[in-house]
Order: sequence, then structure tokens, then C-alpha cells
Amino acid sequence: MTAVAIPTLETERLILRAPGPQDFGPFAAFYASPRAGFVGGPLNAEGSWRMLAMEIGHWTLKGFGRWTVIEKGDDTAIGMVGLFEPEGWPEPEIGWDLFNGQEGKGYATEAGRAARSYAYDVLGWDTAISLVKPANLASARVAERLGARHEGDFTHERHGFMQVWRHPAPGEIADGGMEAYA
Amino acid sequence: MSALALDIPIVETGRLILRGPEARDFEPLAAFFADKARSWGFGGPKTRNEAWRWFAGNIGHWALHGYGFWTIETKDGQVIGITGIWNPDGWPEPELGWVMFDGSEGKGYAYEAARAARQHAYEHMGFTTLTSNILPGNTRSVALAEKLGARYERDFTNVTHDTEMAYRHPKREGM
Repeated sequence: MTAVAIPTLETERLILRAPGPQDFGPFAAFYASPRAGFVGGPLNAEGSWRMLAMEIGHWTLKGFGRWTVIEKGDDTAIGMVGLFEPEGWPEPEIGWDLFNGQEGKGYATEAGRAARSYAYDVLGWDTAISLVKPANLASARVAERLGARHEGDFTHERHGFMQVWRHPAPGEIADGGMEAYA
Repeated sequence: MSALALDIPIVETGRLILRGPEARDFEPLAAFFADKARSWGFGGPKTRNEAWRWFAGNIGHWALHGYGFWTIETKDGQVIGITGIWNPDGWPEPELGWVMFDGSEGKGYAYEAARAARQHAYEHMGFTTLTSNILPGNTRSVALAEKLGARYERDFTNVTHDTEMAYRHPKREGM
């Protein structure tokens, strides 16, 4: 029997929960849109379904993955945020996709911080990166808010040229240094 | 904590075991997808990275639908292929599929495994009919479909594979 336990994370305004079939509608709508061009899209419905299935299988194969993000009190998916390292990735990544209309509220930063805390505190990671397309300025700003620094670049066969942003190490966060919870 | 329990059944035949996909199945699957001559009828060739995404997606397929591709093992634990029911969004209907890895053909394994998968789908998963979608020119697959009792029904345009032939399997009572 193949099984994996996907934890649920809670932040001030958000819940990060296991992805499931109920997320397909919002997931496919986002991946069909031009904004998905920053994260491997746009995709048709079939491609989105396969992507959602891959996100779930990622948890089984790696023991971590990306969560569906919802606002407290509403189970509708508003994004996918979490830990991502498919075959061919340079190293484990913290990724954030906010679906259309959910930008500008600080949700990516809030969920990304929770995912990073899980990686550091529960999984024991000692470092993490985020990959950002150069034109995806909103995503770069999230990386900055999380205290990450642009340290290099990486070209992927599917996603193309991306910036590598390095997050502060666990000790740097615990020291209250670069990442003040302001 | 939500447990993503993938309760994938084990199906046993005379010589084979069908079980849920596991991480150690990735290497033989990646080798299959890298080989265009073998994988062209199954969405290949695929790079190693794309093969991993397909592999992870198959596990998610089980989670989303409750069925997917099993890994086929011989009784001595050799991974020889995959078979199962496939139905991503956009598929015309659930299909029975099969893949044999290099060196495993000619022994009747594909027939034995696919027949067991179909029987399990009919008896335990609630399916009342099944198709198999086969790309024109994939004569080995056509031969196996016909050996399984399936008959050519129509051509259709697959969302990712262009024109395919749909073969219709006998219903449960006709087996």
C-alpha cells in the first residue's frame, strides 16, 4: 500500500491542505491563463489535470510537496504553495502560485513562510531556494519579502531560464536577522 | 493532517503480481520512455524529467480517480511493465492500457496482466465497459487488444495523441 500523510498548516489567514479532486476547477483556470506562463503553463485542461495529479504523486515520491492554499472559512483553492523538487530540479524549492485575483494581499508571502518553516523545522532542511522567471516581478518581490537573495540562474528543459533565489538558513531566521516578522 | 491513503489493490495472476507504483519503478519506466521505438505508442519518447512527472502523475491518478496503472512484477520481483485504467481529464472514456518493458515481450505477460487488470476493473471498480486507445501502426498493441477480445470501434482525435483507434473490450458478461 502506498500512502503518505500530508500535514495541514495554518497561518493567520490561510490554511494549507492536501490537494484533491475538488481543486481541479480553480487549478485548471489558473493554468489556462497567461499568468501561468511563469510556472510552466499555459496548459489545457488535460495538462492541468496531469499537473494536479503530479503534485499529489510528488508527495508520495518525495515525502513533501505543494499544498492547496485556502482562505480560512472557504475551502476554494486560491493557490498552490509548498515544497517542490521534481526530477531535474537543481535542489529543493519553495514555490508559490497564487491563482488569478488573489494577488496583492500578501498571501504568497504568508503561505511561503509557513511552507519554509515546515521545511526547516519539521523536515530539517538547512537551506532552500526559490526559482523565479525574470519577468515575474511579483514573485521576485515575494522572495525578497521572505529574505531570499538572487544568487544565480538555472535553465530547465521545460521551464526555461529562471533566477535562483536563496532563502536565509534556519539559523539566520531564528536569529531574527534578515527576516523580521514585521 | 490528512492522510493521502492510496489503497491500491494487489492483483495476482498465475505468473504475475500487479501492485501500486513505488519509487523503485522509476528507473525502468524512465528507460522505457527514453526509447522512442518502444514508447512512441504511449506518449513517448519522454525525457527523464518528463518521465518522472508522468510517473508522479500516475500515482496522483490513483488518488484522484481511485484507479490508474499498476506496476507489473514477476513472482520473483522483476518489474516488467505497467497495466491499468487511464482516464485523465479530456479522455473520451476510461481505457485499459499496457506497456511491456524491454526484454519482457513474447511470453504472454502483457495478455495475462491486462486481462487481470480488466477483470479487476469490472469486478471491483464498477466499470461496465472499457476501451483501449491505440495509435495507428501499433500492430503489437492491436494484436493484444484483439487477443483480449476487443474490437475496433472508431477513430477519434485524442487531446494529446492526434488520431487514435478506439478498441472496445467485451463487457463483463461477455468475457
